[in-house]
Amino acid sequence: MTRVHQALAILAAVLGLAAGAADGRSTVDVSQLGSEIDAERDHVEAPELAERIMRQDPTLRVIDLRTHAEFDAFHIPTATLATLDELTRATFPPDASIVLYSEGGTHSAQAWMLLRLRGHRDVRFLREGIYEWLSRVMEPRLAVDATAAERADFARAEAQSRFFGGLPRSSVPRAEVPTGYWTDELGAGELASRAPAASAQQAVARIRRRGC
Amino acid sequence: MNGPFAETGVIGPLGTLLSAPLIGFAFGWFLERSGLGSARKLAGQFYLTDLAVFKVMFSALLTAMLGAFWLDAVGLLDLRLVYLPETFVLPQAAGGALFGAGFLVAGLCPGTSCVAAAAGRLDGVGVVAGMLAGVFLFNLGFDWVAGFYNSTPLGAVTLADLAGVPRGVGVAVVTAVALAGFAIAARIEGKIAMKSRHEGS
Repeated sequence: MTRVHQALAILAAVLGLAAGAADGRSTVDVSQLGSEIDAERDHVEAPELAERIMRQDPTLRVIDLRTHAEFDAFHIPTATLATLDELTRATFPPDASIVLYSEGGTHSAQAWMLLRLRGHRDVRFLREGIYEWLSRVMEPRLAVDATAAERADFARAEAQSRFFGGLPRSSVPRAEVPTGYWTDELGAGELASRAPAASAQQAVARIRRRGC
Repeated sequence: MNGPFAETGVIGPLGTLLSAPLIGFAFGWFLERSGLGSARKLAGQFYLTDLAVFKVMFSALLTAMLGAFWLDAVGLLDLRLVYLPETFVLPQAAGGALFGAGFLVAGLCPGTSCVAAAAGRLDGVGVVAGMLAGVFLFNLGFDWVAGFYNSTPLGAVTLADLAGVPRGVGVAVVTAVALAGFAIAARIEGKIAMKSRHEGS
């Protein structure tokens, strides 16, 4: 056996053993997924997504999981349409940072789990789906009796909304302010009732009428 | 730019078509350079007098397996898009036995028969002609053997799937088996060389 043969055999042995070790590491740890969910590292908030789209983050891949008709009616800029089945075969660059959204949160959460099980590490979803995008980025509203935290959040939302051609409105009755998990965080969760799906449909219809 | 290029659309249908003869040419070239165009050399494999076939084929298998695994691991190749032929246990076992018998009688397998024919060897031309006649007859009589042909299906499985271990562990085991095989082959060839020197002296 020549030295070249010996060197090739050693290289093959190293790559082969490393393959066993590498695959062992890439096995998804279910408890790790659980802790990611508990720590809320599985989702992204609409303003953060908006900020990444605005600065043209090259690693960002936004995936819309709704129907073709819903996508045609309105979608988040840069988003591409995909079904859960297509996601099982889709390929993404190794450094891709994937953000999923659907009508609500169920499909996105399923897709998040699916992509994490496929080994994609940087996957997040919009917790309240397209409704959250519409409520917080496209049509943010400030109640007449807004708290200080709500006013600060609205200042941020107003700039983003204008960037995306949205329609921010201030001094609206409290009942017309969209609510979600974020309003709980702003201390206004008890102040209005929730109807996310209906609100989202109305918002899309308004945006369509405006021709945006 | 991720692979497989034909599936991810990097090279398109024409590029795929053009790459096939290039890969075929390279395959034939390396088979010929490895001496596998010689029926005597190939038959030597079965009598354990010449282990070139084992070494060449297992080297190729090992290189392809490690390359595919690591390219997939670093994100340059998506192995899920690479076609994995389905397993049909009994028909493939019967086909393997027939293939082995034909290999031993002719001293050539399909690839090496083409290499031998291209190099002008008449036995190679005979095997290629027989192979094409066999393909033709098989297609004519396919209805008669279709039941057996599709029997005992296992689907597109890999050794790692069957063993219930992660793919990387399967790669590590096949690597270990291949390296052990190379070591054994080297020892057998050493003994043969010693024996022939002894007989020559």
